Amino acid sequence: MSATRRALLLVPFAFPALAAEPTLEQVMQGLAGVRARRSRFTEDKVIPELETGQPNEGTLLWQAPDRLEKHTTWPIDERVAVAGGRLTYERRDRGVKREFALAEQPEMQALVEAVRGTLAGDLAALRQHYEVGFSATPEGWRMVLVPRSLRVRGAVQRITVTGQGTELRGVNVEGGGGVDRMRIAPAE
Amino acid sequence: MTRLLLLLAVLAGLGGVLGWLAPPRADLAEFLPPGRTPASAFLLRELQSGAATTLLLAAIEGAPRAELARLSRETAAGLRASGRFGFVGDGSLRLEESEQALLFRYRYLLSPETRPEAFTAAALRPKLEALLDGLRSAASPLLARYGFADPTGAFLGLAAAWLGESHVAAEDGAWFAPGEVPRVLLVARGQGAGLDAEAQRLAIAAFRAAFAAARPPPGARLLLSGPGVFAAEAAATIERDVRRLTLLATLLLAGFLVWRFRSLAVLALVAVPLLAATLAGYAAVVALYGSVHAIALGFGVTMLGVVVDYPILLLTLRRRDEPLGAAATRIWPTLRLSAVAAAAGLLAMVGSGLPGLVQTGIFAGAGLLVAAATTRWLLPRLVPEEARLLARPMHLSLATLRGRPLPALAVLAAAAAVLLATGGPDRQRDLAALSPVPAAQQALDAELRGQLGAPDVRSLFVIGPMATEGEMLQRAEALGAAAQALVARGLLTGLDLPSRYLPSPALQASRQAALPEEATLAAALREAAAGLPFRPTAFDRFIAAVAESRGLQPLDLATLAAGAPTIAARLSPLVSRHGAEIWGIAPATGVADPAALEAGAAGLGLPSVLFLDVKLELERLLAAYGRATLGWALAGAGVVLGLLVLGLGRFGRALVVAAPIGGAVLITLAVLTLLGEALSLFHLAALLLLAGLAIDYALFLAAGRATPGEAREDATEDATQDTTLGAVLTCAVSTLLTFGMLSLSETPVLHGIGLTVTIGVAAAFLLACAFSPRGPQRRPGRGS
Repeated sequence: MSATRRALLLVPFAFPALAAEPTLEQVMQGLAGVRARRSRFTEDKVIPELETGQPNEGTLLWQAPDRLEKHTTWPIDERVAVAGGRLTYERRDRGVKREFALAEQPEMQALVEAVRGTLAGDLAALRQHYEVGFSATPEGWRMVLVPRSLRVRGAVQRITVTGQGTELRGVNVEGGGGVDRMRIAPAE
Repeated sequence: MTRLLLLLAVLAGLGGVLGWLAPPRADLAEFLPPGRTPASAFLLRELQSGAATTLLLAAIEGAPRAELARLSRETAAGLRASGRFGFVGDGSLRLEESEQALLFRYRYLLSPETRPEAFTAAALRPKLEALLDGLRSAASPLLARYGFADPTGAFLGLAAAWLGESHVAAEDGAWFAPGEVPRVLLVARGQGAGLDAEAQRLAIAAFRAAFAAARPPPGARLLLSGPGVFAAEAAATIERDVRRLTLLATLLLAGFLVWRFRSLAVLALVAVPLLAATLAGYAAVVALYGSVHAIALGFGVTMLGVVVDYPILLLTLRRRDEPLGAAATRIWPTLRLSAVAAAAGLLAMVGSGLPGLVQTGIFAGAGLLVAAATTRWLLPRLVPEEARLLARPMHLSLATLRGRPLPALAVLAAAAAVLLATGGPDRQRDLAALSPVPAAQQALDAELRGQLGAPDVRSLFVIGPMATEGEMLQRAEALGAAAQALVARGLLTGLDLPSRYLPSPALQASRQAALPEEATLAAALREAAAGLPFRPTAFDRFIAAVAESRGLQPLDLATLAAGAPTIAARLSPLVSRHGAEIWGIAPATGVADPAALEAGAAGLGLPSVLFLDVKLELERLLAAYGRATLGWALAGAGVVLGLLVLGLGRFGRALVVAAPIGGAVLITLAVLTLLGEALSLFHLAALLLLAGLAIDYALFLAAGRATPGEAREDATEDATQDTTLGAVLTCAVSTLLTFGMLSLSETPVLHGIGLTVTIGVAAAFLLACAFSPRGPQRRPGRGS
């Protein structure tokens, strides 16, 4: 069998992944397959009361099943690490380190569960906290998360997560009249 | 026989009617004494019905951590849903939305940071810089929510001060206790007074139901503690103990009596005076007090154990072919003296001033006299002439004990030496040891309190009585300021004042006055924000809130309670209402030397502020009652001796009778000392009971020889002595069987009484033997 024929035989299998829009379940399955990842992010916060945006950047670390760490390296040094139900907040430049239950901080929890649930590919966990909307094009997918809790909606109205295949590309958080845009790329 | 059973039925029926007309009261509060000083009166009232008494502490253990957290959350949810608890605390403690809104609205009236200088540009500038810094951080959603409306941080400061002091690590929405074994903690405050046994029982049942509804896995345990649990537990333990031990003791006693008299009818005969005595005691207390306390009833019946002796003595001392009536007439002078002297000995209980003990004393005193009369006049009519109720003769080698005062005196000297050398038994100073609550339960309570960081409130300041809430809060604020001097001296580390949660209306008004005018604040903000990237409108909500705060009606307790349950739950234990009076309570922390703090507090010179150390005050109270009781016990002993002299006609003979009584008390005290028992009021009561029993033994053994109208032949003499000895031994064995059982009880009070009486009765019997005169001839091994 020639190489061409062999390649042609594989086409039916490759085809859906290449051309058709993936379903939410397929995206989640793909994300769940990545057990650990390291990404760089840049973030720009727009707060209506401020005249200028608040940019910052750093790294994101993910380790399945439930460890997520957001390490901001510029302009401040800040680490937010989540494992299970515990959140550790650390600002080395201020000598501040605090640990508390995620459940005590609903606003933080809303953000954490959005990113964590997506990276874990855990649709059930996402649906526990949000109404999940989904759309996809051949270029990528887009998930719109609306918090179920009224209290949380007071601070966070909508989270939009975008990605391509098994990669996360961005997280936009809208709330309190402002928006926080995070761009994500794999770190080398 | 029919007559006997009929009478028993009538007596039981009367008892039923009496119990129905005036049922015993189980309210522990009524058993406790009224206070004698303002401090003790307040303390005792708080102990009986204060907010602290409705606290339930709980722990769940015996499952993995995640499972425990789930159990904690679901049990707490069940408790809240039950509506039986004013407050439920678990790891999920946080302010609800509506509560936050209320406190947020009043933030500038509540915050101690509200001072004129806090709203100047110079003070605002660093606040704005900090806000900007926070907005860059991951916590920005939280800061964006509060920071622009409250850049001074008044609200977050308040929340941190009110809620951020928990010593327990919250994890997964549950409080985990420190330590190796995973254990979650819960706190609930019930509604209704703490010593209201029924309300407590329902609250505890609701707690257990909520736990069961959370589907605990096998092995998971719910541990409950708190004054309410104590009350219920104490009642249950005493009841269980008494029922079990009474049943055992009754069976043993019945078996012994049936064996001794070879007749079942003897049981009915013994029951008649006991039943009549109980009825009389009950009626007497009801007539004087309107009702009988359940504990007084329990102790009273216990003390009436003495009257079992009376029919036994009558039956045993009855001679062959002697009609029972004649025997009753013959022993009556001795029996009468014995009963009157024993009743006089109870004087100490009546004089103690403790309502519970007074009732017990009256109950037992009336019962004793009625039992003696019943034995004298009623019993002989109940037994047909032809009935042969005679004691089985005993072969008593014990007779060798008779008339040996010298060894007895040696034993007494040894006992006195022990007492002198050791200084006597320790007096029980700890009220906890008097508590019928088992020690294990008390230890659990201490452990849970320690783990929750909610130690039992020991030292506190009492503010009041005040006419209004505002005055009370204002006085609390004055105390807070004055106490700084005591903190500086290291006498305490802190004070949890009611004004910490709710400032007085006057202070709130002064804070309103400190708030700047709208234009002034706007100008200060402009200056403070110079060069910072805030939009001009960024702090509009702040300016509006300050303007609104200036016109607010000061927050009061009722509004706080309605709108802010979490904070109100913190505040409510610190406020106590009694009629129209209102009191504030301020627990002190870090008190090393309560006596020094008491002296320091007296030096503050604040009117209507009282320092109270619970342990110190209770010790003083107990010591005062102890002194009173001791004084009355001595008076009682004097009366008993007087009665004996009067009844026996000669001082010397009275002394022969009194020596075993006093000696038994002496030996009992010495043995209790050696056993390391600390003496409480209940031991004292037991000593009185013991003295009553010893009077019987000593009188009858002493009277055994010279009963009037008795034949004077040696053989008869000796036989009489043997019979008397047998009679008294029967009494002593009966008592030992009953009280020996009681000493096995796990309830400290019952154990104390049982032990005291058991030791004492053995001593009293042997001493009475030893001091009683010996017959001129002795024929060992003789029987008939």
